[in-house]
Amino acid sequence: MKTILALREAECAWVRDAFPCVHPLLLPICNKPFIEFLIDFAILVGSPAVRILGDGELDAVERYCENGSRWGIDISYANMQTGDSVETMLGKNRRFCDKERVMMVSGFSFVRYDKRRDYKSLAGSMPEGEWVAGPGGSITLFGAPEKPEAQAADAPLSLMALDGMASYYRASMEALETGADRYVLPGYGGEPGCAIGRNVVMSKSVEIRKPVSIGNNVQLLGDAIIGPSAIIGSNVIIDRESTVESSIVFDNTYIGEQLEVIGRIASGNRLSDPVSGVAVTMEDPHLLSGIRKSEALGALPRKIVHALGALILIVLLAVPFLVVSTLLRLGGGWRSATGDYLSGKSGETISLGKVEPDAANALDTIASTLSLDRYPWLFRVLTAELALIGSTPLPAETQHPNAPANALAYRPGVFSYAEAEQWPATGGDAAIVERYHLVHSGPISDIGLVVKAFVNRPHEKTTP
Amino acid sequence: MKFTLDNIDGHLVGIAELEGRLDASNSKPLQKIMPEWLEKTPFLVFDCSRLDFIDSSGLGAIVGCLRKAIDNKGDLRLSELNGKVAMVFELTKATRLFSIFTNRGEAVASFAAGADPGSAK
Repeated sequence: MKTILALREAECAWVRDAFPCVHPLLLPICNKPFIEFLIDFAILVGSPAVRILGDGELDAVERYCENGSRWGIDISYANMQTGDSVETMLGKNRRFCDKERVMMVSGFSFVRYDKRRDYKSLAGSMPEGEWVAGPGGSITLFGAPEKPEAQAADAPLSLMALDGMASYYRASMEALETGADRYVLPGYGGEPGCAIGRNVVMSKSVEIRKPVSIGNNVQLLGDAIIGPSAIIGSNVIIDRESTVESSIVFDNTYIGEQLEVIGRIASGNRLSDPVSGVAVTMEDPHLLSGIRKSEALGALPRKIVHALGALILIVLLAVPFLVVSTLLRLGGGWRSATGDYLSGKSGETISLGKVEPDAANALDTIASTLSLDRYPWLFRVLTAELALIGSTPLPAETQHPNAPANALAYRPGVFSYAEAEQWPATGGDAAIVERYHLVHSGPISDIGLVVKAFVNRPHEKTTP
Repeated sequence: MKFTLDNIDGHLVGIAELEGRLDASNSKPLQKIMPEWLEKTPFLVFDCSRLDFIDSSGLGAIVGCLRKAIDNKGDLRLSELNGKVAMVFELTKATRLFSIFTNRGEAVASFAAGADPGSAK
């Protein structure tokens, strides 16, 4: 049996209005794109091939699903006309159907199924015709039953039309509450009702109240309360003492300090009430805002300020560096080892020499106090390979959770924000501090933090 | 901002109608005029039925007004917050600071002797 998934733009126009950055088929339901629930169901029914039909653009869906090898099936794509009837759609995709039985899922509806049940036998024994229908769509079988004589046990199957914010919210909460029992949901979960993605950094005082689903690269800061019934997307920051309950927080959203998000959908700087449909676009970035990694980290003024700062330090420290490093080298106290570190650009590395003075004599103390071990790195700021202040450079040979591919924000720096704030250079809290400043700090505050790091580093070394 | 006075059970209640946007660019006039209103009465109702948008600066201005009213042994109560404005109040937990009523009449009546401001919605 093959599966055709047919979606018309008119059926999901509200998604385009409410969440302009998300393709309707990729609308997350409990942190899983809507299309994946349909693909999972097609797999449960025993489809080796799925064709996705749409009367709008499918580029984003194609980029996400690719050829379906991730699920072990073939996924192909085709366009249809808005007014195409079912017969026309089947006719246009005759080659794909290839005389096999076809299941057509049409409309923008959430399919309620139970992954533990045998839909393959059930679909194989069902007569041709409509299997299930609802106000927002239907599932129809075409072609003769594959095993008409088979006695298949009944299995729950129904459709919930996703016709607006309210039904979308209901479907998401239902998926969260029924959880991994009925659907395959993303995230790791040691216990029912709690699914947490990769690289989630939580302060110790964060309180999690089940059920919750938390995406990847999420930062939950001190005294935040998450749940019950909270769906937190990926690349989200929930700031200190904020509560997120019975709510959906979309990817790349920042929730400010001491806020209460209850029964809401937060998407970037837009907060919506799923029941009334009222939505407000926040103009205060400290309350609610979208997180844009590239703009925050790659801003030209920031790079210029960093380069100027590095230039000043290069000039000021040139003489001490030449004198102290030469004397230490002669005495064998200047040990340098070159290693590869993760660059700010995904998949790239940079080579950095790391110096470790012994701190056993006066020269070593001067070298440490003036951060002369980092002096050669300052030149890398001029070539924009390093920031003057940023993340602690991560070794390239290990799969770090903070690697650029995973992390919300990573940009290696000569000095790190963790050093400026006197956090231990390793550990989750340091990662929170670094990412917070990468996203929220500006060129001027960066200079202040460089000074703090410069002053704090020798102190850090002398602290046991 | 229209300001009127109403007498309810011997209490003189000042009613201010907030309109349009209340944000960083236009919250200062509210803070400026507040002492004038407080000279007339410390019991105030802000009718927000025509207030379309509020940001944190506007919210700060209203909280400042509440503080001044309380300092003058009075109170500031709000009425008819529309959906968007109400969401900002709920998000910032400002609903816990104010008595909020569904209409202006209820808000004014709540100042009557013996009325329980806890009955606010």
